[in-house]
Amino acid sequence: MGKEDLVVNNPLRVLGMGTKAEDEQQRMGLIMARAGLGKTAILVQIALDSILRGNKVLHVSIGEGVEKTRAWYDDILNLMVEGKDFDNLPEMVSEIVSKRMIMTFKESSFGAAKLEERLKDMVQQDIFCPDCMIIDGYDFGETTHEQLQEFKAFMITHGLKTIWFSAVSHRGDDRVSEAGVPAPCHEIDDLFEMIMMIVPEQDAIKLNLLKCTSGAVEPGTSLLLDPSTMLIKKG
Amino acid sequence: MQCVFLFQIRCVACRFIVGYLLNKELPRCVAPYFFISSWLMSGQGRLETDTKRLLRTGIMSVDLSKMRNIGISAHIDSGKTTLTERILFYTDRIHAIHDVRGKDGVGAKMDSMELERERGITIQSAATYCNWKGVDINIIDTPGHVDFTVEVERALRVLDGAVLVLCSVGGVQSQSITVNRQMDRYTVPRIAFINKCDRTGANPVRVTGQLREKLGLNAHMIQLPIGLENDLVGVVDLVTMKAIYFEGDNGEVIREADIPAELKDDAAGLREEMLEAVSMFSDDLMEAMLEEQDIDPALVADAIRKGTLALGFVPVMIGSAYKNKAVQPLLDAVEAYLPCPTDVENLALDLENDEAEFSVTNDDKDPLIMLAFKLEDGRYGQLTYVRTYQGRLAKGDSIINVRTGKKVKVGRLVRMHSDEMEEIDGCGAGDIVALFGVDCASGDTFTDGTSTCSMSSMHIPKPVISLSVIPVDNKSQINMSKALNRFTKEDPTFKTFVDHETNETIISGMGELHLEVYVERMKREYNAEVEVGAPQVAYRETISARAEFNYTHKKQTGGSGQFGRVAGFIEPLEEGEYEFVDEIVGGSIPREFISSCDKGFQKSLAKGSLCGAPITGVRCTINDGAAHNVDSSDVAFQLAAGGAFREGYMKANPVIMEPIMKVAVEGPTEFQGAAMGSINQRRGMIIGTNEEGNYTVVEAEVPLSEMFGYSTTLRSLTQGKAEFTMEFATYRPVPKSVGEELVKQYQEEKKNS
Repeated sequence: MGKEDLVVNNPLRVLGMGTKAEDEQQRMGLIMARAGLGKTAILVQIALDSILRGNKVLHVSIGEGVEKTRAWYDDILNLMVEGKDFDNLPEMVSEIVSKRMIMTFKESSFGAAKLEERLKDMVQQDIFCPDCMIIDGYDFGETTHEQLQEFKAFMITHGLKTIWFSAVSHRGDDRVSEAGVPAPCHEIDDLFEMIMMIVPEQDAIKLNLLKCTSGAVEPGTSLLLDPSTMLIKKG
Repeated sequence: MQCVFLFQIRCVACRFIVGYLLNKELPRCVAPYFFISSWLMSGQGRLETDTKRLLRTGIMSVDLSKMRNIGISAHIDSGKTTLTERILFYTDRIHAIHDVRGKDGVGAKMDSMELERERGITIQSAATYCNWKGVDINIIDTPGHVDFTVEVERALRVLDGAVLVLCSVGGVQSQSITVNRQMDRYTVPRIAFINKCDRTGANPVRVTGQLREKLGLNAHMIQLPIGLENDLVGVVDLVTMKAIYFEGDNGEVIREADIPAELKDDAAGLREEMLEAVSMFSDDLMEAMLEEQDIDPALVADAIRKGTLALGFVPVMIGSAYKNKAVQPLLDAVEAYLPCPTDVENLALDLENDEAEFSVTNDDKDPLIMLAFKLEDGRYGQLTYVRTYQGRLAKGDSIINVRTGKKVKVGRLVRMHSDEMEEIDGCGAGDIVALFGVDCASGDTFTDGTSTCSMSSMHIPKPVISLSVIPVDNKSQINMSKALNRFTKEDPTFKTFVDHETNETIISGMGELHLEVYVERMKREYNAEVEVGAPQVAYRETISARAEFNYTHKKQTGGSGQFGRVAGFIEPLEEGEYEFVDEIVGGSIPREFISSCDKGFQKSLAKGSLCGAPITGVRCTINDGAAHNVDSSDVAFQLAAGGAFREGYMKANPVIMEPIMKVAVEGPTEFQGAAMGSINQRRGMIIGTNEEGNYTVVEAEVPLSEMFGYSTTLRSLTQGKAEFTMEFATYRPVPKSVGEELVKQYQEEKKNS
């Protein structure tokens, strides 16, 4: 078994992610869930899939350390390859490490301007030039439409294929957008091309697609999450 | 209140003087009390000393609940040695405080080596002991620099508890992570002490958060600072909910008071948080909390102790050793929360019962078991630091070294106080003392001969860097030999050998600083002037594919001939360095020559044919061969296996591996780009950056060969404001271009030699 098998059999293919047409579009994605339901696990799986498809990923973690974020990647990858006979696992692991960069910031000091400054540092010195970006732990409760638009502009300027965010929704907050996107992202959902929501149900945890502008998949499509590993499964 | 002051001053002589001074301001009726109490206490002090002597000589048995064996470990420059200096002062072991890089030229007590005092770093772990409120505390002050990591490993192996010191500004730094991992490895319960709270930018709450996030510890503050930076005057004890102030020239006068009004809310909030965390370890405390009763401080302390011993909770204390603030409560916490020898389980291996593990008893009456964890070769011969796990040892007793089976008589027994020693007559279970004139290696187990067991061995990392040392004259040559003999005996991570091709003496160690310190010590302590070559990286060779071999060794040029044929295959071994598999059926190679094949393969591993580096990660399997009735011999099969290995090795895609170091560059955020750029230029792979306010840590993996001279580069790039630490991470194949260069270099060296 090789990394191609992991790419081809990845349940994310159901959502149309990774197709040529999809890859040619620049887009922002969002994973929403209540606290502790596994947003980071989903983001890491999206990042790993992107790396295995040859992209370089910058993982921005807000409020967490490098070690902890790195541990997420190690754990998820171990679960993905568990019980499978890989031809060259060490090579694949070192390829993943070389195509991934983790940046951590404190909540109070993070913003698009700061991120741009850091990214320029890396790109100009030819240290790391990402194709995709993951921003985990961003505080949407305090974010305005304009602030998020800065990220969109940033994505276009730097030629990034995707930026994936995670956002925490709260049980007591019933506000939703027309597309069914809950608060605190109900007023900024127009900026995202794809939005998914983790919903715990009685016998399973579902990953529901709320919005997909490319038309590759219909909103309402679902995937399942294995509650013990948080790995995405086909629904 | 003055009465409290007086009791805190533990030195008897001081008590008289202070008593006299206080007397001037005291009412006439109270004054005589102080003199009487001082006199009584001085008598009590003598009585205590006599009792201790009886206990130590074994006439009385020692109460192990009143003993603590602790280590003080941290990242470099967190103030471990300063903290130890204050501990020794408050426990009357020293009577004056000296700074680590002191202007008085004396230096801290525990940095006894001239080099340590000059550089302001601890190189060797030093042992000392003190007595705090009737509790004997053996302390090992360990180095912070990762190059001396074996000293930390050795200390942690024999300690029951530890104080993890952190800088209130730097927080959890790279070496704090390493030390914490080492503590986890040896399951050492710990207290965290956030030091340097007097520094600008001190933030103990942030550091406590880092302890949870970066180290994954269930860490909670059990103290709250009263003032920070220049305004630090004391702490609020969240267990007793009292404010404690440290006054007097050296903070020796402790004053208890009510919590300042402005801190009451913060203290209540943090206490609530701490109680919630610690109540998991005490049903009584949880019950009291649920019933909303007034919570007895003793109940909280008991829960903290239980949590700490179970490695489920880390109490966080706060202070500034340099400014003499809050060291005494830390000593109280050592007694209250860290384990005594009977609280921890130490395992030994029964060598007569297939190395079955069993717990040592910590009982003086049981047969003696001792572990030698550190050697020092000094003026009076070899000094061996030992930890006694059970049984009792008295001066003049004979003990057996389990590894060698040799019986030795213990002539002198001493208790160490940095570089000074105190003669003692005996020691008991749980003690850490030193023996004179006992020849052994670090990690050896001693018994009284009635049992055959061994304490499990310590984790000793392998050296990753080498350099050649060439003595300038004959005298230096002799002195260098003496010095190297001593250093290799003392430090298992320091190795030396003679390269027979160049005839140079090579020294190997854990980093540039490690070797630099030994070269300097050779000059200073042994007057051995040496010229030092360029540092060499410890490369390894390995194979990346399976390959067959079938080799016949035949020699018939007069005299008895030699014949042996060895066939089989070599393949990469995922874990371990070498494995030999015998799949011979039908006796194609006679049984007596199977081990010869193994020997022949092992000899071939010493030097690979790509760059002359040792070969690792190889499994050799033999499945066929041939022998001759007369000409086959042990030597013939060793040579045949050597030839077979050479044949298979070149077909098995051999690669050169280089040591990769985990590097952390820490400094102001404005230099983040420069730091990343410098790593990138060194073939480094940046794992991530961690930005906290104006301070950033860049974490990367960089080949060791690219790290020489990095400190100078980094200094000039960052105006001296950034620093870096590195430790060995793993071995990885070198890039093709580097590999080709190494092969070319090796071929040229071979041609010229």
